[in-house]
Amino acid sequence: MNQKIKVYVGMSGGVDSSLTAALLLEQGYDVTGVYMKNWTQDLPGMICPWADDLADAKRVAVQLGINFKVFDFENEYKHKVVDYMIEEYKRGRTPNPDIMCNQEVKFKLFLETSLEEGADMIAMGHYARVEDGVLKQAVDTNKDQTYFLYRVTGQALQKTLFPLGEFTKPQVREMAKARGLYTAAKKDSQGICFVGKVGIRDFLSVYVEQKPGEIIDKSTGRVLGHHDGAIFYTLGQRHGLEVGGGLPYYVVGKDMDKNEVYVTTDLNDDTLWKKTVGLASIHWINEAPVSGTYQIRVRHRAPLVSANLMLNEAGVELDLSNAERAVAPGQSVVIYNGSICVGGGIVV
Amino acid sequence: MKITSIYLDHAAATPLDERVLSAMQPFFTEFFYNPSSPYAPAIEVRRAYEAAKQVLAKQIGAKSDELIMTAGATESINLAFGNIKGHVVTANIEHHAVLEAAKLRAHTLISSDARGYVTADSVRAALRPDTELVSIALANNELGTIQPLRDIATVIKQEREDRLAHNNTTPLYFHSDASQGVGQLDINVARLGLDMLTINAAKIYGPKQMGLLWAASHVKLSAQIVGGGQERGLRSGTENVAGTIGFARALELATEHRVYEADRLRDLRDSLQERLTAAFPEAIVSGHPKHRLAGHLHISFPNIDGERLLFSLENRGVLVATGSACAANKGTRSHVLTAIGLPEKVADGSIRLSLGHLSTKENIAQAGQIMIEEVRREYDRVSR
Repeated sequence: MNQKIKVYVGMSGGVDSSLTAALLLEQGYDVTGVYMKNWTQDLPGMICPWADDLADAKRVAVQLGINFKVFDFENEYKHKVVDYMIEEYKRGRTPNPDIMCNQEVKFKLFLETSLEEGADMIAMGHYARVEDGVLKQAVDTNKDQTYFLYRVTGQALQKTLFPLGEFTKPQVREMAKARGLYTAAKKDSQGICFVGKVGIRDFLSVYVEQKPGEIIDKSTGRVLGHHDGAIFYTLGQRHGLEVGGGLPYYVVGKDMDKNEVYVTTDLNDDTLWKKTVGLASIHWINEAPVSGTYQIRVRHRAPLVSANLMLNEAGVELDLSNAERAVAPGQSVVIYNGSICVGGGIVV
Repeated sequence: MKITSIYLDHAAATPLDERVLSAMQPFFTEFFYNPSSPYAPAIEVRRAYEAAKQVLAKQIGAKSDELIMTAGATESINLAFGNIKGHVVTANIEHHAVLEAAKLRAHTLISSDARGYVTADSVRAALRPDTELVSIALANNELGTIQPLRDIATVIKQEREDRLAHNNTTPLYFHSDASQGVGQLDINVARLGLDMLTINAAKIYGPKQMGLLWAASHVKLSAQIVGGGQERGLRSGTENVAGTIGFARALELATEHRVYEADRLRDLRDSLQERLTAAFPEAIVSGHPKHRLAGHLHISFPNIDGERLLFSLENRGVLVATGSACAANKGTRSHVLTAIGLPEKVADGSIRLSLGHLSTKENIAQAGQIMIEEVRREYDRVSR
């Protein structure tokens, strides 16, 4: 029934996008697999395995007998996602590159390029659902990826298919296995794709000079130790402080100009917990919601919490029913109305 | 040994021959001694090692004290080039090991013809008064084309005589990387007119990371790996006794079966080639039609993607090579195919089939059938 609908599926070489292509083919779509070559940085001792991923994506496409292409978005990705991320960190904030990647690359550049090449729609292996341009949480709420998708436009979603939104991850593995897909047992990727497995700190070290500074106890003002750059620390962080002895210390703030990191042992410190959160750079997937009670999520997979939303000139003011821990500037807060992902903004 | 797929990539790697394995085995356990140690069991190991080198030397018509054992062909090539300061002549279809070594020096790359054949005349034209080394592989790894080493040696001999007559004392050496032809062709260093020869064990059902450089006694080498002074000080490090024993046994076996095996592989290869070209008249076979390794078949199906074909064949249990990754992986198109002037549309649809011990009449017939089906499937998809 879907025979004439031409769909370009983003295939990363993982099991999710592999099954996405297989399912759409079974549903009768005219499917083309596309690997997006994004920017990667080879760091010493750790190589982002994009060549293997590309080969895996292509293997599955060949298995399915579908066309396969490579879109090279290296420059755009570096410019829009990587540079953004580094700049945000330099400002002392905690950005989310995956959200930026969806906004700028997957649901913009990839969509536009696909449409230009004659596709009617695009599809991705995200765990999310779309109904008439409305973004909804995946059936598998544990796997739901709408947090990363809140900056996508309703128009883009009108042209998007997320066939995995109806299934749980174990079901997806099972279905991939049943179809004998080459990637059925492949491990899920970890961490930020272009950073590979090294972790953000090692990644940033390539771009930002290490600058020793003081770790200061917020309550006493006492210098507890030294760090090699405030940029590497984020609110609520416990590990990697290298401040020994006694109760664990948590980051409660930092001064980027002074290059100082403030810590506390007090888990109930005011700065660690926020009951009101201001958001800027607001994005609504469709029309703006009216003020009222919504559910919000402060990070991927965090439980939904109830909040009162007030629209103001600066953006959005959220009054949370319960205080949330470690809501860092630069981080995204996503707003839900029931199962519908309405949009969200970035913590000021 | 259990190999379920149909393996058509013997030019990339070969399984260790059981007889080679048995020859090597005691040298891992019972005769583990360091050949440099003074006690009797170690001396026995030293003798076995020297005997293996003599076997290797005999197979190529050389003396065993002219061999330097190395960890594979690439190291051997690096050693051959190591002491060269002057100009180097080599071909644009050479293996990366040779090309990269040449690039570190003043060099001229000769173009092969469309068959991947390097003529003696083209070598003559590239020689300069300061040329110190000519390096041409015995056979090309992608196309299987066998080079006219004796003719090239004649050119080099003439050049040496000219230099003598003109009081030019610059030495001129002739090196050949025979990794790809060893075991399949009769290699005699004197007959071929070489000064240096690289061979390795990995392509002849011997162990990997096992190679050697033969250098005639007049050739000056400089050590690339220094240390305890093994191999006449030219390659330090405790001798790879088991590897050398295996290498010798492998070369012995290859020589023993060479004529029979070459005929067998040629028949199988030719039948496969005929079948594929009959099914796909547009297919292009590259390499020299006459001077070609018996097990090699390089074939291109214009307008299809060789890497797709590789994956679909893999899916059906047939393992092949493609020198040319998909056009999307730009910059990775085989330098050999570019050098012989294959248009991109043809080069990108290329696969290399290399037959060997694991090839049988049955599995080659089966592979032929599978290939026809998969190529047809790809053509159907492309024309949709």
